[in-house]
Amino acid sequence: MTIGGEDLKTAQTGTVGRSIPRLEAAAKVAGRAEYVHNLQLPGMLHGKIFRSPIAHGRIKRVDVSAARAVAGVHRVVTGEDVRAIVADPHYGPAFHDQPILAFEKVRYAGEPVAVVLASDPHAAEEAAQLIDVQYEALPAVFDEVEAMTSKAVVHEVLRPAGAFPDLRHLQGRKNTNVALDFHLRRGDAGGAFSRADRVFEHTFHTQQVLHVPLEPFVSAAEPGEGSVTIHTASKSPSFVRVEVARLLGWPENRVRVKVPYLGGGFGAKLYIKLEALVTVLALLTRRPVKIALTMEEQFYTLTRHAASLRIKSGVTKEGRITARECEVWWNGGAYADIGPRVTQKSGFTAPGPYDIENVSIDSYALYTNLPPAGALRGFGIPQLVWAYESHTDMIARELAMDPVEFRRRNILRDGRPQATGTVMKDAAIEKVLERLAARMEWKKPFERGSGTRRRGRGIAIGFKASISPTTSVAIVNLYADGSCALYCSTVDMGQGSDTAMAQIAAEVLGIPVEAITVVHPDTDVTPYDMATLGSRSTYHMGNAVRRAAEDARDKLLAAAREAGLPAETTPIAEVFRRKYGMQAGNIVGTGSFIPAYTPTDHDTGQSPNVTPFWMVGGTGAEVEVDTETGRVRVTRLVNVADVGKPVNPRIVETQLSGAAVMQLGFTLFEKMQFDGGQVTNASLAEYKIPGMRDIPVMENEAVDGAERGGPFGAKGVGETGTFSVSPAIANAIEDAVGVRLMSLPLTPEAVYRALRAKQGKPLDD
Amino acid sequence: MTPFELVEPHTLREAAGLLASAEVRPLAGGTAVMLMMKMGVLRPARLVSLRAVEKRYSEIAAAGGELRIGALATLSALERSPLVARAAPVIAQTLRMLANVRVRNVATVGGHLAHADPHMDLPPVLIALGARVSIIDPAGGRTLPLGELYTGYLETTLGRNELVAEVTVPAQGSRRAAYLKCTTRSADDWPALGVAVVLEADGALVRDARVVISAATDTPTRLAAAENALRGARVDEAVLRRAGDAAASEAAVIGDQHGSAAYKRELLRVCLARAVRAVLDEQ
Repeated sequence: MTIGGEDLKTAQTGTVGRSIPRLEAAAKVAGRAEYVHNLQLPGMLHGKIFRSPIAHGRIKRVDVSAARAVAGVHRVVTGEDVRAIVADPHYGPAFHDQPILAFEKVRYAGEPVAVVLASDPHAAEEAAQLIDVQYEALPAVFDEVEAMTSKAVVHEVLRPAGAFPDLRHLQGRKNTNVALDFHLRRGDAGGAFSRADRVFEHTFHTQQVLHVPLEPFVSAAEPGEGSVTIHTASKSPSFVRVEVARLLGWPENRVRVKVPYLGGGFGAKLYIKLEALVTVLALLTRRPVKIALTMEEQFYTLTRHAASLRIKSGVTKEGRITARECEVWWNGGAYADIGPRVTQKSGFTAPGPYDIENVSIDSYALYTNLPPAGALRGFGIPQLVWAYESHTDMIARELAMDPVEFRRRNILRDGRPQATGTVMKDAAIEKVLERLAARMEWKKPFERGSGTRRRGRGIAIGFKASISPTTSVAIVNLYADGSCALYCSTVDMGQGSDTAMAQIAAEVLGIPVEAITVVHPDTDVTPYDMATLGSRSTYHMGNAVRRAAEDARDKLLAAAREAGLPAETTPIAEVFRRKYGMQAGNIVGTGSFIPAYTPTDHDTGQSPNVTPFWMVGGTGAEVEVDTETGRVRVTRLVNVADVGKPVNPRIVETQLSGAAVMQLGFTLFEKMQFDGGQVTNASLAEYKIPGMRDIPVMENEAVDGAERGGPFGAKGVGETGTFSVSPAIANAIEDAVGVRLMSLPLTPEAVYRALRAKQGKPLDD
Repeated sequence: MTPFELVEPHTLREAAGLLASAEVRPLAGGTAVMLMMKMGVLRPARLVSLRAVEKRYSEIAAAGGELRIGALATLSALERSPLVARAAPVIAQTLRMLANVRVRNVATVGGHLAHADPHMDLPPVLIALGARVSIIDPAGGRTLPLGELYTGYLETTLGRNELVAEVTVPAQGSRRAAYLKCTTRSADDWPALGVAVVLEADGALVRDARVVISAATDTPTRLAAAENALRGARVDEAVLRRAGDAAASEAAVIGDQHGSAAYKRELLRVCLARAVRAVLDEQ
């Protein structure tokens, strides 16, 4: 079927699988796309946050009198004021541990303590500097391993949120910094180590880094009559509604959450960030309130976990891995955010994409007095792959085996159980490895450089389970002229989801993609979606959209048949005219999707079904190392991924390359620096992200794959390009100059110091 | 950023006269001052814009074997000037790697020099070329070698009501020069070390040498011992090693987020040798 007068049957558009330009491209180029930063509401107040300068302490006294006296200041709000509206102002997706504004205690330097409200944002900023808070400093803990046994306890009591089924097992605890411990036991690792020919053990570290969306966090709230409307740059509008309603003790339908486009998300803009705060401020003042963070303030809001990872493998002399043991400590910062899910989900795959009989995993989410850590493009997987793929290469070198061949001997194949016991399906791990080896021309001789420029190459491969079980709902609304609106709460933050969802609906309905408008998230209008995260949208929302479109199509065909029209060949508009007697009416299709899931056993981590699909990403790197300075130049980066069947190949490619460039920054130089818990490089001048001149020659390939459970064979892609970049580069550095780096980032100084140590002439500090 | 008043005088001397108190700051390109105001480091009540002052302070001229560069010339004007490319090609080469095109299009030479952030790229190059800077005040003015402008991190000898008016750079002539910018994070990062080398040489025989480093030290610093090691020497690996050793021991290198002091001293040895080789190879 089609719009206009075209034949319903023959006009199959074949929309899915085509590189259709993004629907919003023209609006973005013209500067007309809508963002919350541009939103102005009548009578709106601007809020400026006053933040704690210390990492851990009791609040003794808050003096806001000088701030209140500044001309133009409407009101100054503290944590105690918040409690007048919300008696228990703690929020969080895993634990209700984070207060809307700190009261009684502060737990990290940068934590919001008070807010100044003014019509003029400059007046608010000026006044915020005059707030005077007295603290009684408490001992603080910053290191994730020390936090296991530290006398400094960040939270005296922990209360699980109970919001998500995959985190329902979280325990209420007292006097510990362990938010969650995940354990997996398969076979008998201890016995296998004693029988192994060789045992290898290494410890790796990763640093705390930041998402750096170029649109910083921003939210605004408008009070209504017993209701509130929140405009926010959020990837989880449905969660925001549920959580704000819970905090206020209101029904969900009194809270409306609207989300336009986002200027990047990468895992930062999830759950509650500024939304509860602006809501409370709007209700306290009965005025619209907006808070727009600066780039610098993003460093105090959400970060990616630093981690320490110990990994041990037992190997036969033929090069088969028979046992693997992993211990991982995740530095979650002062509030759990979604850290427990990072700990658990990454725990599933900690042994890597290898077929290993005996596995033991212990993964710990720790509280420390640092800015909170949460999801960042990969949910802990890039940190894990950094460790296990460095470890894998080190073993291969020790065994004098080719690194590709060593992986080949151990690779996890479809039909084999993974560490959780879940049997692998539609995961093209082997294919990704082989395509990577082919693209890298692994068997051909490699030019190794000379003099002070030495060249090397390395590969790595990683995989990830999707988040489960989560729900997506979609509505397809066919108008009487044959055009169509698609209502879904997936947030387009630059990843191209509007275009992909429209393509899926267009494919089912057989109409051009241009005939579809995607209605952006508005919880009064668009139905529930768990969130735009973890590369879940194409699969979950894609399936919901497909079902909604099929429902609408079936109703349309039924209407045609009822009207005595040939169902397959009548134009849509004609069906409406006959059914309603004029250009009138709607045909509404709905679709809902939740995959099957079996929770993992608490003691063994075993489950027959931990994920609806697997993402697989491999990277090959060629590098040139300057032996006199330690500087590493990545001369070629090859990213190969299993994304199922791409809905839009061009967008898939940009997702892979964008993810790889992001991880390249985390690999080579990005690092949050701290002094006593205070970030010392909280600006883009001192926290550098890759620029155009840092981007290497890059190739991206989606292998020929198909995800049987996905819409038209598709599955997620947003995170896949991040998995393997770091170890591929570290492996290439060792190949080039024979030094092995165990901590990220791989800075010139780190490489240079390793070179000097290798020469027996270590550089002094 | 706190609100401020903006005034726009028509002469540079008038502008200098308006800088009466610490509450008042000059504004040229604004690329540094705006960042400092956003961070709350500077909170001026009034900014004196230099955009409407006499045109001649934006001009670039070549006469008598010298380049005369008005303080309000933008960095991109300098980058694209055929006069600069002829008289001092090392300046044009340096500018291509300086910040980015958006900054170069608005940042001015005077602001770049007066800001006194040791990570700036032009000061070591201009000092090595022997540049002099002319300063204007409400009553008169003074001229001094550019190297004497700097007293510390973000500190200069400029009085409260003095403004940089012009910089005079002797043409390279038979001298050859190179600037090596060494970043340790992203390519567009502030340098961990900048090394400017200007040589007068016959083949490998160095008749005269000027070596000025930046970024790794509090102020752009001329390295006399390194210059002595090069002067009169026929450059080979041993000479370069001696010059590198001299440089590493005489420079007051400081560690920061770009690298430790020990590492930057190693970078200095390497980059000095590479800069000298780049100059000699160019001949």
